[in-house]
Amino acid sequence: MELTEYQVSLTGLHARNEKTIQATQDWERSRINEVTLKENFDKDCDSLVELQKHVGAEYITDGQITLAWQDLFRPISSGFEGLEPGPMVRWFNTNTFFYTPIVKGAISSDGKVLSRIIERRFVDHGSSLKIILPDPLTFSELAEDRHYGNKEKLQFAYADAIRGELRTLSSLGVKYVQFSAPSLVYRLKQKPFSRAGLKQLGEAVRNAVKGVSLKSGFYPFFGDASPYLPELFDVIPTDDVGVDLTQTDDSSLPATSKGVIAGIVDSRTTYLEDVEMLAARVEDVLERTGTKTLTLAPSADLRYIPRVSADEKLELLGRLRAKVRKGSGSPKAKASARRGAK
Amino acid sequence: MKSFPTQEIGSLPKFGWRTKPFRLMALTDDDLEAAREWGDRLQVDGRADLYRLLSKRYSFSDEEKKTIVDFSLLYAIRMCETAGQGIAKEPGLDLVWSGEQARTEMYETPVSNIDGFEFVGRVRSFDNKYWRMASIRSAPKYKENYHLEELLFTEKQAERKLKIPVTDAITIMAWSDNNYYTGKWANKRGLPPAKRSFSARREFTLELAKIIRKVIRELIEKGVEEVQIDIPAATQYQSEDDIKLVTESFNETTKGLDATFSVHSCFPPNTGYGILFPHLLEMKKCERFSLEYGNRDTFERGLDAKSRVGFEDLKLFKEYGYKKQLGMGVIHIHTDTLPSVEVVRDRILYSAKVTDLPPENLYVNPDCGLRTRRPEIAQKMLDLVVGGAELARRKSG
Repeated sequence: MELTEYQVSLTGLHARNEKTIQATQDWERSRINEVTLKENFDKDCDSLVELQKHVGAEYITDGQITLAWQDLFRPISSGFEGLEPGPMVRWFNTNTFFYTPIVKGAISSDGKVLSRIIERRFVDHGSSLKIILPDPLTFSELAEDRHYGNKEKLQFAYADAIRGELRTLSSLGVKYVQFSAPSLVYRLKQKPFSRAGLKQLGEAVRNAVKGVSLKSGFYPFFGDASPYLPELFDVIPTDDVGVDLTQTDDSSLPATSKGVIAGIVDSRTTYLEDVEMLAARVEDVLERTGTKTLTLAPSADLRYIPRVSADEKLELLGRLRAKVRKGSGSPKAKASARRGAK
Repeated sequence: MKSFPTQEIGSLPKFGWRTKPFRLMALTDDDLEAAREWGDRLQVDGRADLYRLLSKRYSFSDEEKKTIVDFSLLYAIRMCETAGQGIAKEPGLDLVWSGEQARTEMYETPVSNIDGFEFVGRVRSFDNKYWRMASIRSAPKYKENYHLEELLFTEKQAERKLKIPVTDAITIMAWSDNNYYTGKWANKRGLPPAKRSFSARREFTLELAKIIRKVIRELIEKGVEEVQIDIPAATQYQSEDDIKLVTESFNETTKGLDATFSVHSCFPPNTGYGILFPHLLEMKKCERFSLEYGNRDTFERGLDAKSRVGFEDLKLFKEYGYKKQLGMGVIHIHTDTLPSVEVVRDRILYSAKVTDLPPENLYVNPDCGLRTRRPEIAQKMLDLVVGGAELARRKSG
C-alpha cells in the first residue's frame, strides 16, 4: 500500500514585502539606485524561499516578485520576438492589471529569456526551483493577435516558444513548471470550452513540455473546474492537475492517478481558515481522487493580500500539511490510499 | 443645451507642497517654485499667502496644513475651470470638482472614516503602484461624513457646476480584505464554496451601501445637486451574481435620495463592458455612465471602426436602446503619451455616430482620475478634453 505524499506549493506571483514596496517607490523617484533596489529584492526573495523551506515545500519559487515579473506575461511580452506589451487590462476579477501581449509577428525566443530572470542562486544552493507561466489558452485568450488570426495557431506558437525556454531552464536545474490557466475556468456568461477545445489545449501543453525533463503542473483558478471534470485530468498531459477549491465543489472531483494541486486556502482574503476544517476537506479530496501526490496550495497567487498575510497563508498550508500527514494513518485516509493504488 | 459638454472624472495630481507637510518632509526649492509657477499660471486668489506659508518649508501646524489643503483645492478648481485656455475659444470644463485634493485617495479616505476597518498593508495593483488595503474586522459603522468639509469649501470657491465623486460600496468591498464576513460565512454548511464567498461579499457590500447613502444624503442636504458614484470595481467581475450586485448596490445607495446621479467605471478585463449588460441599465437613478475607452484606442485619426477600436463597446448602449447620457473617456490616463486634439475630436464624433445619442447627451472626459500623472500632463489632458470637444462641436455643426 502506498500512502499519499502531501506537498505544499505556491501557485502564483507572491506579494512584495513592505521594504521592497518602499524600495520600488524610492527607486522610481530616484531616491535609491538599481543596486540598492536589487539588494531589497534579493533579501525579499531569500526570506520567501526560507519560509517555503520552513513549511516543507518540495518545489520552491522565488516568488516572481522582481521588476521582470510586473505581471505574469511581462517577461514574455517584453522578451519574446513578435510580442510587445500593449494596453493595460484588468487581470480577471482582481484589482490588479497586466499589459496585454500584442502579437505583432511570429513568436519566438532565443530560449534564454526566462533563464535570464530567474533567481539561479537558489538552484545553485540546492533548491528545487519551480517556475510559473501562463498556459497556452490563457495566453491566446488574453493576447491581442495581429499576426496568426487563429487562436489554435497562437496557442501552438506560444507553446513552441515556451518549450525552448523550458529546455534551458531544465538544463540550469529548474525542476518544475506550472502552467497557470485562469482563462479555462473564468467564464462568467460564456459557455465552458468544448471537449475539442480542451483536447486542443492538452495538445498545446504537450507541445510545450515535449522533450523537457521538468515535472509539470496545470492549474486553472478563479473559476469552477467542474464543467471540465473528469476530462481535465485525462486530457492535460502534465504530472499534476489542479482545482481551485474556493470555486469548485469537492463532489465534482474524479478519481485520478495524477497528482492533484488542491487550491484549498483562499488567497483573496487574510481570513485564516480553521485548520481542522481544511484537514477534513483534504481528507474528502483524497477520498474522491485517490491521488498519490496531493499538493496543498493557495487558491491563486498570494499577491492579492499584503505580504504578512500572504506568508501567514503559506504557514497555514504548512500546518495543514503537518496535520494531514499525522492523520494519514486514519481509516479514511488509508481507504483512499488503497483506492488510489488500484 | 451645449453639445459635448466636458467633465473631469475626479482626482487630479497633488503637488509636493500639498503632500510633503503630511509626510513630515521638508519642502524643496522645486516645491516652492511649483507653487508659484502654477499659482500664477492659474491665477489663484490669495496665492501670495500660500507662498509666504510654504516658505517655512517644514513643521507646519495642523491649522497651516488645513490652509495648504484649501489652497490645493483651489488650484484644482482653477485647473478645471481654465482647462483648454489658449487652445479653445471657451475654456473650462462644464462640470468640475476640486480634484479630490482633500482626500488621501478614493479608497483610503472612506475606509479611514468608517468604523470596522483596519489597514493591513500594501498590495500591488500594477507595476510599482500599490494601494493600502484595509481589512474589515467587524460590521462597518458610520463614523463621520468624510466629504463634508471638502464640499463646503468647493461650493464656496467654484464658479462652474459641481459634481462630487463618491466611492461606492462595491469598490470599497472589492479593494478591501473581506475578513469579517468571510469568517461569518465560513461555517455555513450546505452552500457551495463560491456561493459562500459571494454571500460574504454581498452582505459586506449592502452594509456599506447604507453608510454611503447616509454620507450622500448629508451632502445633498448641504446643496449637492450632482453625485458621481465611482465604481471602478464594477468591472472586477467575480461572478454573474456579483455583476447583479453592482446594480443592487447602486440602487440601495441611492434609494430615497434626490439628486442627479452618474456612474463612473473603468478598466474591464479583455471581455470589455458587455458582461455588465443589461444589469447596468437597471440602475434606476443613473443619468450618465462615464466609462474608460481611450486606453484601448489607436492614435490614428478617423471615424472608422478600425481607428476607433477602443470605442467598440459603446455600441452596446445602442443595442440595448439606451437613451440617457454617456461620458466618453477619450484620454488614456496611465501614459504621458498624448493623442492629438484631432484624434480626440474623432473619438468624440465616432462615439456620437455609434451611439446615436444627441451630442448634448455625450459628455467628454478623461478615462479616469488623473492623480497618477504629473500636473503638466494632467493639464494637457484636460486641455485635450476641452479642445477636442470644441473641435467636435464645430465639425458636427
